[in-house]
Amino acid sequence: MPHDSALAITTWTLNVVRPFDSAQGKPLGELDDTALVAEAAAGSREAFDVIVERHRRTVYQVCYRFVNNHEDASDLAQDAFVRAWKGARNFKGQAALSTWLYRIAVNVCLNRLSLKSPINVPVESTEHLEDVRTEGAQQALLREERAVAVRKAIANLPEKQRATLILRTYHEMSHQEIADVLGSSVGAVKANFFHALNNLKKILGSEP
Amino acid sequence: MSHLTPDELIDAMEGVLPSEQQAHLSSCLECQQQLDELASVLSEAKQVSVPEPSPLFWQHFSTRVTEGIDNQSASEWPHWLRWQVLLPLGAVAMIILALMIAVPKSSRPGDAPVALAAPVAPDAPASDDNWGALVAVVGELDLETASAAGVIEPGFAEQAVVHLTREEQQELSRLLQAELTRAKS
Repeated sequence: MPHDSALAITTWTLNVVRPFDSAQGKPLGELDDTALVAEAAAGSREAFDVIVERHRRTVYQVCYRFVNNHEDASDLAQDAFVRAWKGARNFKGQAALSTWLYRIAVNVCLNRLSLKSPINVPVESTEHLEDVRTEGAQQALLREERAVAVRKAIANLPEKQRATLILRTYHEMSHQEIADVLGSSVGAVKANFFHALNNLKKILGSEP
Repeated sequence: MSHLTPDELIDAMEGVLPSEQQAHLSSCLECQQQLDELASVLSEAKQVSVPEPSPLFWQHFSTRVTEGIDNQSASEWPHWLRWQVLLPLGAVAMIILALMIAVPKSSRPGDAPVALAAPVAPDAPASDDNWGALVAVVGELDLETASAAGVIEPGFAEQAVVHLTREEQQELSRLLQAELTRAKS
């Protein structure tokens, strides 16, 4: 009967949506970051899973920029999220969740790098086959070589300069946000950014 | 006017340079060249992308984070260490503290801790009136009796120990060690 079918569909829908509801009665996927952190701080792993899903790519990218290889970047990103879960209660909502996650990720990366010699930072080749198809093979090779040189140059920058360059150039964070992440002043961030670019220029200028 | 500072060169590159410095930049070839070089390096750096991991990686990543959180929780202090050990220890610490506060330091007898280790009858003679009175009250009072009477509530002793100052904790540690040494001998 049509009436019975409609009833069955209604019941099924309720059963599916219910487990993902937040304390506010909304599905977790519809909550903003602040509400999700509040849920996570109250112990909701499901809410934290949504946070991970939303921010995993950017956190991974920050980590990759620091270490230049997939294995370490994925380990560091995982570590950053584990720390974020542990510290969810400390998130005060004064900054955006992404800024808070960046801060954790940058600290995790800086801690890891301080244990390693900068010279040992590996630089993965990221040559894409599609580049070879669309450009001349030689051009693609030159471009890739230059990209490797830039990555290597960034990897050899002092830590604060590297962090500033990464957050400003690739994540378009404001100077104030970077200052918050690094625990420094806007003036220091600008100075670090200037010196990072200047050092890059020198390193790349001396490349053959 | 002097050349642009590093801060001002960054502002110029981001298009937020104040008009006064902008006027200098327009007429200074050296600053213009420096700005062009910085902008060129920045442009080159921007072109370097992060390779996108496979979709399968993202599926595994969430699982790895969950496992990481579980492992982290498992490696924390075992639950039994928090209550079954710390609570009695805290209760003992509270009794010792109460004794320290109740008995004036100058008149405390040298063998006072012995009275704690071996409870004394209420009518036993004591070298000090205050000490004797205190021993008379608490001498036979064990932890269970004190808890049943509501003198010590669950968590009360632990809370008190947690809020001790560093000096008080050191003193407590010293007293406990002295008691343990005395009990062994």
